[in-house]
Formats: sequence, structure tokens, C-alpha cells
Amino acid sequence: MSVKSPETAVVFSTGKDRSVGLPRRRRLSSYFGWGLAWACAGLVVSALLDLLVTVVMKGVTSFRWDMLTTVTHGIAGGLQNAILGTLWIVGIAIVMAAPVGILGGVYLSEFARSGWARTVRFWTEVLSGVPSIVVGYFIYLLLVLGLGWGFSALAAGIALLIIMLPYIVSSTESTLRQVPWSLREGAWALGLTRFQAVSRVVWRPAAGGIATGVLTSIAVALGETAPLLYTAGWSAYNPDWHLTHSQVGYLTYVVWTYIEQPYPEAHALAYSAAFLLLVVILCIHILVRMLVRRWGGGAKSHL
Amino acid sequence: MGKSISVAGLSAWYGDQQTLQSIDIELKANTATAVIGPSGCGKSTFVRCLNRMHETVPGARMEGRVRLEEEDLYRMHPVDVRRIVGMVFQKPNPFPTLSVFDNIALALRLSGVRRRSELAERVERSLRMAALWDEVKDRLRQPATELSGGQQQRLCIARALAVEPEVLLMDEPASALDPISTLRIEELIRDLKSRYTIVIVTHNMQQATRVADRTAFFLNGELIEFGDTSQVFEHPRDRRTEDYVCGRFG
Repeated sequence: MSVKSPETAVVFSTGKDRSVGLPRRRRLSSYFGWGLAWACAGLVVSALLDLLVTVVMKGVTSFRWDMLTTVTHGIAGGLQNAILGTLWIVGIAIVMAAPVGILGGVYLSEFARSGWARTVRFWTEVLSGVPSIVVGYFIYLLLVLGLGWGFSALAAGIALLIIMLPYIVSSTESTLRQVPWSLREGAWALGLTRFQAVSRVVWRPAAGGIATGVLTSIAVALGETAPLLYTAGWSAYNPDWHLTHSQVGYLTYVVWTYIEQPYPEAHALAYSAAFLLLVVILCIHILVRMLVRRWGGGAKSHL
Repeated sequence: MGKSISVAGLSAWYGDQQTLQSIDIELKANTATAVIGPSGCGKSTFVRCLNRMHETVPGARMEGRVRLEEEDLYRMHPVDVRRIVGMVFQKPNPFPTLSVFDNIALALRLSGVRRRSELAERVERSLRMAALWDEVKDRLRQPATELSGGQQQRLCIARALAVEPEVLLMDEPASALDPISTLRIEELIRDLKSRYTIVIVTHNMQQATRVADRTAFFLNGELIEFGDTSQVFEHPRDRRTEDYVCGRFG
């Protein structure tokens, strides 16, 4: 055997050139498979790049600093009303969504019996799969018309709340579940109640993950258009900080409507609004990355 | 001052599996009792029934009676039981992101100690009792997770002592520690038993002879033998105890 091996080694090393039939077909199909995968990946990345480059190029050239301090006039002017309106609506939404979502996640991970928790988790997933336009229409029927709030910041905020909740609930629950059981036992053994154990001890190593969920939900909410179409209305004036019976402008509305207008001034506003949203959302995602790296995404780094 | 514990007809289950079979045992006040036996014999389950930690595991249940002096622990609220019967675990579990000081002060604050001076005084007293004060008195504000493993375990002991329990349960408290740290924990146990009733689960038979006045031998969920440590190790009454302490199995 050892005598034969040099010969066979030679055959194998040059086999590439000599081989015919099946091996070549295999090699070709392998190249083809790889090529296809690369092409698909390239298609995805280039579409994303094209979108980013378009928004950034047109955004940078059309953005003027005075857009931050002036309100919209017809199809021109600034974006101050939309910026403040977006902050106002998302602010209302997060003030409700963060406590409800975090407490809901705590409930699921620490208190719910597993059968009940599974049911709630299932419906949370269903909720996250509901098209956002449906959420908007639901709120439109229930609050805008039903309770007669009219197009308003509160109705829009509640629509966003429904969009945001699943993100916060699931990230809170999953990071709390990663916290070692020994910490809960340590806290209970000192005579802490289950709620005290969570509120004083168990949340600490999970804080990064919980913050990540809240930030991600804010990023999602900032970019939402559909749930606001039926709920916020539009206003060319700065928000008057009334919760109901007062329409509010918001950035995604500018993107959505003004890009369809046949005027360069309108396009400038739309691209600037898109650019602003892109920058803010990018910053949030960078912050999330930093949080995840710093906290290790949960409890692993501590015990 | 420690209190005595009397256990009558204690059985425990995890789901369908019975891990304790009708245990009767009397633990005298201010003594250290070692609980020995091979893995899976129910010794951890036994101590976890004494502070009602057993029932925190989903699917776990128990029967029988556990009394502290005259009080039935299973008629009290479990949270109150755990304040009287403290526990130290196998693996040190200091609270992460909390400082050394806050690890101890946390439970004190929740039990109503508000004044800073009183908090500081009780934290210091607990750390001194756990023989840790001299090592950490300049590092009270540092995260507890920066201490060494042995120091973390003594911190956990200090944390349990701070709420002034009557009984201290220790579930293999030194098995994750190096020999020097183990010796310090053992010294500590000998020192603490004048003030507390101590129950210590251990795999290490030398450790049992060094720290315990009394020793209980468990096998397959049953209490096989219980008596003075010297008697259990030198003149065991039961054949199975003899086999175990002579190292013939387990």
C-alpha cells in the first residue's frame, strides 16, 4: 500500500485536468450554485445600496438647515412641524409602550404558568404579524370615529403602541429568561417576593436587552406610515400638544405624499425627510449595537 | 440565637419522582448538622424543604411537617420562612451589577432599614461575621462580581446573615472553592454555630468531621442514620452507612 501511494497521489493531484464526465459536471454545477448565491446576495445588497445612495445623495443636496426651524408651506418650506409631530406621536407611544411592554415581558417570564404564557406569546406573535395598515384602520374606527377623537396625536400614538408592543414584550421576556436561575434563588432565599426579586435583582443583567427592545421599537415606530395615515391626519403647523381633536404632521407623511408631487420643491422636502429618518434610525441601531456589545446581550457576561 | 427544627414525615417529589421518603429528624438549636450521602440521595431536596425553596421548582411538591421550635413553617408565608431560615448555595451567586455593600444592604432596605448609619453598621457587622470585612472594607463600592470566588461565597454568607435568620442552610457551600477558601468557610461555620442552627450539605466527609456536631446519612431519599458525627463515622450502626463512610460506594 505504501508502495502504491506515490503513484495514486500523482494521479489525484493532476486528476483535475484529466477527469471527464461526472466530475466536470459536478464542478460546473458547483460553480453555478455559487454564482447564483453570489448573484442573489449581490442583488439584495445592490438594491439596498441603491436605495441608501439615492436617499443620501438627494437628501444631502436638498437638505437645508433652516428646514429644522421652519414649517411646511404648501409643497415647500421646512419640516419643523413634521419633526416635532413625529417626536410628539412617538413620544406618546413610547410612554405607554415601554411600561406596558416591559411589565408584560416580566409577567411572561417570571409569573405566568407555562400554558398561559404560551398562549399570550402566541397572540403577541400574531399581533406582530398584523399588517400595520389594519392596525391604523382599527384605531380609526375605534378611536378616531368611535370615540370621536378625530385625527389626533393620541389616536396615532395608540396605533404605534400596538405596533411597538410585541418588540418590547418579546425582547424583555427573552433576556429575562437568560438570567441564571441561581440569581432568583439567591433573592428568594433572602425573603424577597417574586416581584421584588425581579425589580431589585433579576432585571439588572437583563437591562441591556430590555433597552435594546425599547430602542428597536422606537426605530420601527419612527419609520411607520400606514398606522398614522388613518389616525394622525396632517398639519402644516407645529403641534399644539393637544392629545385629541388636533391633527398632527409627521415625517413619513412628507415622504409618502410629496414624492408624488410634480414639483422639485416637494421632492426636496420628501428626500430631506427620508434622509433625516434614515440618520436617526441609523443612530438608534448603532446605539443598540453598542448596548448589545457592552451588556453581552444579557446575563452571560456576569456569571 | 438559633432555633431547633423538627421534621416529621417529610416526603418530597419532583413531578412523579419521589426524592424524599418520610423523613423524621430533630435538629437541635445551635448545632451544626452535616447531611451526607451519594449524589441524588435527596440531601439537597431535604434542606430546600426546610426554607421552602423546594416548592419554587415547577412540578415540585412535599408532604409532612417542618416545625421551627413550635411554629409550623408550612403554615407561614414562604417569604417569611426564608427570612428566618437563610440559605447559601453551592455556587456563589452575588447579585451582578450591585456593589459589595448593596448586595448586603438590599434585603435590609426591603425589610425597612432606612437610616444610612444603621445600614452601614449592619453591613459591617455581617461582613465581620463572615470574616470578610478586612478584605473588602476599602472595596465596598466595587461590583461584587469582582471579588474572588471564595470572597463571593463569604459575601453570600454575609448577605444571608444580614437579615438575622435563626437557621442557616448551606448546600455544599465549599464545593466550588479552592482548599484555602474551603478552610476559611469551615472556620466560619465552626464560629457561627454558637449563634445559629446550621445545616450543611456536603460531599466531603472530612469536611463533615471537621465542622459538624451531628451527621445525617441519606440514601435513596431515606434517612439511614443520624447521630453524633464521631459515632456515625467511627461506629456506624447501619451497614450502608459504614460502606459509605469507608468509601465503598458513592
